[in-house]
Amino acid sequence: SRRKRARARHKPCALKELEVSVSELGLGYESDETVLFRYCSGTCEAAIRSYDLSLKSMRSRRKIKKEKVRARPCCRPLAYDDDVSFLDAYNRYYTVNELSAKECGCV
Amino acid sequence: DEILRSLAGPPSPPGQDPHGWRVPVDCVRANELCAAEPSCSSRYRTLRQCLAGRDRNTMLANKECQAALEVLQESPLYDCRCKRGMKKELQCLQIYWSIHLGLTEGEEFYEASPYEPVTSRLSDIFRLASIFSGMDPATNSKSNHCLDAAKACNLNDNCKRLRSGYISTCSKVSATEHCSRRKCHKALRQFFDRVPSEYTYRLLFCSCKDQACAERRRQTIVPSCSYEDKEKPNCLDLRNTCRTDHLCRSRLADFHTNCQASFQSLTSCPGDNYQACLGSYAGLIGFDMTPNYVDASTTSITISPWCSCKGSGNMEEECEKFLRDFTENPCLRNAIQAFGNGTDVNLSPKNPSPAVTLPPKMEKSPALPDDINDSNTMYDTSVITTCTSVQEHGPKLNKSKEQSLCYSETQLTTDIMPDQKTFVDQKAGGSRHWAGRILPVVPILLLKLAL
Repeated sequence: SRRKRARARHKPCALKELEVSVSELGLGYESDETVLFRYCSGTCEAAIRSYDLSLKSMRSRRKIKKEKVRARPCCRPLAYDDDVSFLDAYNRYYTVNELSAKECGCV
Repeated sequence: DEILRSLAGPPSPPGQDPHGWRVPVDCVRANELCAAEPSCSSRYRTLRQCLAGRDRNTMLANKECQAALEVLQESPLYDCRCKRGMKKELQCLQIYWSIHLGLTEGEEFYEASPYEPVTSRLSDIFRLASIFSGMDPATNSKSNHCLDAAKACNLNDNCKRLRSGYISTCSKVSATEHCSRRKCHKALRQFFDRVPSEYTYRLLFCSCKDQACAERRRQTIVPSCSYEDKEKPNCLDLRNTCRTDHLCRSRLADFHTNCQASFQSLTSCPGDNYQACLGSYAGLIGFDMTPNYVDASTTSITISPWCSCKGSGNMEEECEKFLRDFTENPCLRNAIQAFGNGTDVNLSPKNPSPAVTLPPKMEKSPALPDDINDSNTMYDTSVITTCTSVQEHGPKLNKSKEQSLCYSETQLTTDIMPDQKTFVDQKAGGSRHWAGRILPVVPILLLKLAL
């Protein structure tokens, strides 16, 4: 049953979205304006390649020791959304680029 | 359904569109029709040559030019109009003015709009109502409507993209130079042309209770780049600059046609059509005559282009008159306030009135969340009733009256025509307006049915 729960929790890599205030983005802007924040979330089990398996094997055989490597694909944005502009609490306009994901993939 | 909709639409103001029911051909199409006809196309060519490079008086002195103009008045080119944001809008307007510049009596104060009259008010109202219904009721009491409007825009991909487009263009400041006004205006025009008015009007005409909100409203068009300048030109000079550009000239003529204060209507607007006035106002943004709020006042709304009447000489009076159409225009002010308060979307309460009557005078309620909630319920009822809430601000009276004009679709198709006596006169003062407003609908309705 634990495995079943785990499977239910981990959906494949996909685009998700949240409505957040600009201040909540933590970029240092003070604004109550709401923006749509799209992000990538999910697992990439289906995208494991020979590369990942081999890399894992190299690591377990201690052929790779000190380097930081990642032996599984990762759910990340493949493309970013257009610029987002907003007015802050001091009536200045700002434009932020590459804030939000547009397309996700296992890379 | 389409017929019902058009029937329920408010009457196009008599006099503005002499045909009433006839949809004019656009000028690009009219030009094609003219080109297919040898006599028309040769006259049109002659006229264009007459106008090119010569002023109006020398042109009209030429017999050949005058003859060409006379013949063309019988052609589809004479009646043609353009649509705002249409494909080939500039080409259409060039064709329009090529005929009409020859017809006007020199420099007129008000020019007729080359744009088709706005008649699709009903659908706009419904669209707006659907947007307002999406508002979170919990935030209503302390909400900043301009902030809500920004949120609605940010959550729509198209609106967000084009808003960011003009904001980033208009707020770009390099080390040596101020922003590029030309690019900023272009980006603003794209925003107002391509984003549905349910988003753009909400940003532009949101109602405010505090200064932060009003300042946000003033900042909507990024005035530091699109509006303000080092110096304020004279308004008549600015008007002349605008009139050398076909687009600016057309938008100004459209504003004068749809927002000209009229004392014959309850709302002070021509044909009581708020939508048309707001649309014409928004249509001026991104041109030399770009209007904006002059300050962040919450109580009084003052609009002006960036100009003054200093240095008008003996044209002072004309200049003041021109400027007052922005700064002290009851139609424009009522339209903005009605939109902000949601009164133009004030659809009738749950029980539609049994006949087309003037309901008893209602007290003006400042709380708008209730109005909005009421309007939502209308979606579920089978009889769609439209009410145009009308605020009358007498030019001198401080007291403002509010009345609701309601008419239901089924009533309009069935009741009105056989029995006009259903127009119960409940307010002696209102009867005059009612007679003027409703009676002209009847022939138009009949014509529509005949089609």
